[in-house]
Amino acid sequence: MATVRASLSLNSADVLTSPLTLSVVSNLTCDSGSLIRAKVKGTTEDANDLAIYIVNQCTDRAYLYIKNLETELENYIYIHNDTDTGLVAKIGGGEFAFIPVAVDKKYEVYATRVDSMIEYSVFGNDNSAAPYGGT
Amino acid sequence: MATTTATLTLSSSDLTGDALSLSTTATLTKAGSATGLDQTSGVGRKTTTATTQYTLFDGSDYTADKAHKVYIKNTSTVLTEYVTVEMNSEAIGRLYAGDWMFFPWGANAATNDIKLAPSVATTLTVEYLIVSEV
Repeated sequence: MATVRASLSLNSADVLTSPLTLSVVSNLTCDSGSLIRAKVKGTTEDANDLAIYIVNQCTDRAYLYIKNLETELENYIYIHNDTDTGLVAKIGGGEFAFIPVAVDKKYEVYATRVDSMIEYSVFGNDNSAAPYGGT
Repeated sequence: MATTTATLTLSSSDLTGDALSLSTTATLTKAGSATGLDQTSGVGRKTTTATTQYTLFDGSDYTADKAHKVYIKNTSTVLTEYVTVEMNSEAIGRLYAGDWMFFPWGANAATNDIKLAPSVATTLTVEYLIVSEV
């Protein structure tokens, strides 16, 4: 097993009358993970979407880090899963998210702009019966 | 105008042969603008004692199609306890004890609620923060 340390700091001197200084750390126990940079082809929810997590790729739990590398905020990326209606997240250019993954669902991404660049990572306990690269 | 920054760091010395060290920072700005988000709930906590799903953030309370940001943490220390997070009835995932999440939220429709369902009917506390715009 390996440990991934994930930390988040939220800071502001002026969004409240007292400073906001929130810091959290999680040490995630996992045995697999990757950091990938890729282009997104699809611009609507269809077969051109980029799969970033497949059904039961991990067991028990998994975590997704994803960043939209576009420089224009309006060039969004959209994350959805394959079974529910709606979006998991809509991320503007330069923005990122860190979220847990429902391990039994497939997560896909489409974008405002063809060939939008993203960076993403999934950490968890690998399920050899459903390898990300297929069999 | 307020300035709020979010910094995410991911690191691991033993996941791969080459140490993982990633750090990214975003200044939280309004949709389509360089102006900082200027509304916030502050850091709050909610404690439940039932497994009933509840609405943490109601989509109708926030302006649609904006660049709100949401932080949620499960403060439980019991490793098996989790909260299931949904947005607009779409499962995002489970936050187990000590886990947290941070993501942008468009509040695209009044139905675009962020809802939590605790896994236990005993005391479970989540911590939350939203930084938003009108």
